[in-house]
Amino acid sequence: MADFWQQVVVGLATGSLYGLMALALVLIYRSTHVLNFAQGEMAMFSTFLAWSILIRVDNHYWVMFPLAVLVAAALGGLTERVVVRPVEGAPILNIVIVTLGLYAIFSNVASWRWIGRPKPFPTPPEIHVAGLKFFGGDALHVGPTVINYHDLTIMVFAALIMVALYLFFQYTSLGLAMRATAHNPVASRLMGIRVGRMLTIGWALSAAVGAVAGLLIAPIVLLTSAMMVGALLYAFAAAVLGGLDSPVGAIVGGLIIGVSENLVGAYTPQEWLGPEMKLTVTLCIILVVLLVRPTGIFGRRALRRV
Amino acid sequence: MLQVRDLVAAYGPIVALHGVSLDVPEGSIVAVLGANGAGKSSTLRVISGLLRAKSGSIKFDGQRIDHLSTEQIVSLGMSHVPEGRQLFGDLTVLENLRLGAYSRFGQADGGGRLAHRQGLSLLGRLQHDLIQAATGGIRDLARAVREHGQRRRDFDAALKQIFDYFPILAQRKNQVAGTLSGGEQQMLAIGRGLMARPRLLLLDEPSMGLAPLVTREIFEIVQTINRTEGVTILVVEQNANLALEIAHYGYVLETGRVALADTSENLRKSEAVRRSYLGQ
Repeated sequence: MADFWQQVVVGLATGSLYGLMALALVLIYRSTHVLNFAQGEMAMFSTFLAWSILIRVDNHYWVMFPLAVLVAAALGGLTERVVVRPVEGAPILNIVIVTLGLYAIFSNVASWRWIGRPKPFPTPPEIHVAGLKFFGGDALHVGPTVINYHDLTIMVFAALIMVALYLFFQYTSLGLAMRATAHNPVASRLMGIRVGRMLTIGWALSAAVGAVAGLLIAPIVLLTSAMMVGALLYAFAAAVLGGLDSPVGAIVGGLIIGVSENLVGAYTPQEWLGPEMKLTVTLCIILVVLLVRPTGIFGRRALRRV
Repeated sequence: MLQVRDLVAAYGPIVALHGVSLDVPEGSIVAVLGANGAGKSSTLRVISGLLRAKSGSIKFDGQRIDHLSTEQIVSLGMSHVPEGRQLFGDLTVLENLRLGAYSRFGQADGGGRLAHRQGLSLLGRLQHDLIQAATGGIRDLARAVREHGQRRRDFDAALKQIFDYFPILAQRKNQVAGTLSGGEQQMLAIGRGLMARPRLLLLDEPSMGLAPLVTREIFEIVQTINRTEGVTILVVEQNANLALEIAHYGYVLETGRVALADTSENLRKSEAVRRSYLGQ
């Protein structure tokens, strides 16, 4: 039984990472109905920028972290304003092609600018606030289950981001305006909401969430220009599973995929399925869920009334 | 208060308005009547900036507004309650009303800044916009914090007023707007429009899809709002009878042109209107 919970905990940690990337996708999808294929590459690019910042601030991780997130947000906002805005209102396929173009651009620029071997990236180091120690240190023991500190960090970050976004969307007028824009852009304009600005902020938020995911993934897989390719695939699956327009669904979808992938890898017999088949089995589970609920677990059918 | 001159507007190749002119004096209720497709809704859409005019001019309080965006026009004190209500169906009644007040709280000093920007040269505008983009968010935030108490009181007062007019909305304030009945939805749409504390309210077919009794109730409230708050109202309506009952002036549109314009009393007596629109 101890081993079972161990597998679940590890699955929850990787699932949180998928969930964060899925959340980034959902933040853009629900306001513009665009699947941003460049999401992973934007996160990867932001992580390289974070690495550059880290060198310039004498390896002070907690100085770099907020700077990196801000730079990522600016990058996301700028991308929307400069590249995505001109194709606003174009057929959806055109916008998809634009995000695929962005994918290539970010990927190529990163390979060209940060040429060389995969770079090791630090995990968040310990920090002392008001006499309390956060992050770092040895693994945490809960009964027989061992939780690696980086895994714990990942889960805490995912939870914090989720709560912060919930409060933002639910209780601030800017958050409310962004939800309104997602539901009905024309009526939003009649309320005096600048719809374009809301979309820019949505992309900025999304890029910031993606950057946090990138910063947490990089220590595990090493910093390379291809580091987000796998994670993005899982993130798409997580977003679809949770319901493409639901932020909660994105995280829950990520967790489900992370855990089930891990359990399938650990418990199915080698000669029959085994770790090699874990992605396949996971995608089969998604397929079954979508057959029962085509809009995803938390997705809502558009309510129309004339 | 509102002067519209020779408005021409089109949806692609289809011309909807062939030179519409109308006046809305301050404090009055003006009705725009006409059959389906006569250009009633298009007229409102052009006034609130949702549809760009090909030519013609619109003045609001003596200021040209035909080149402004919808968001800017709203912040000048004009609310448009659109055709089909266009509520935020997934949001609660209270959230819809909060959004109605957005133009007053969302942007710091919308009108004043706009006037300032218009006086600048092209380069000046570019510089202004860049500074705005860089600092606007921070300044809006600072202002929001500074004026938090004041805004809260303003908002609560406006909300209380809406709930006085439409008590049913107070009962349903935490209900999702999409689940309201048709009449309640129309009340919410009007309430949402009023939350902006407009001086001019544009109403597009408030009777659409409603039972006669509910329609009458809504028209009575509209009349009360005009009398007690002094809100000027431009209402588009197919139900000519009811509209002319509360309106001071009326315009009859036919295929994108003004066919008749008179006081509502005269219009009600007019033979042509009686035959075509009043069903008498």
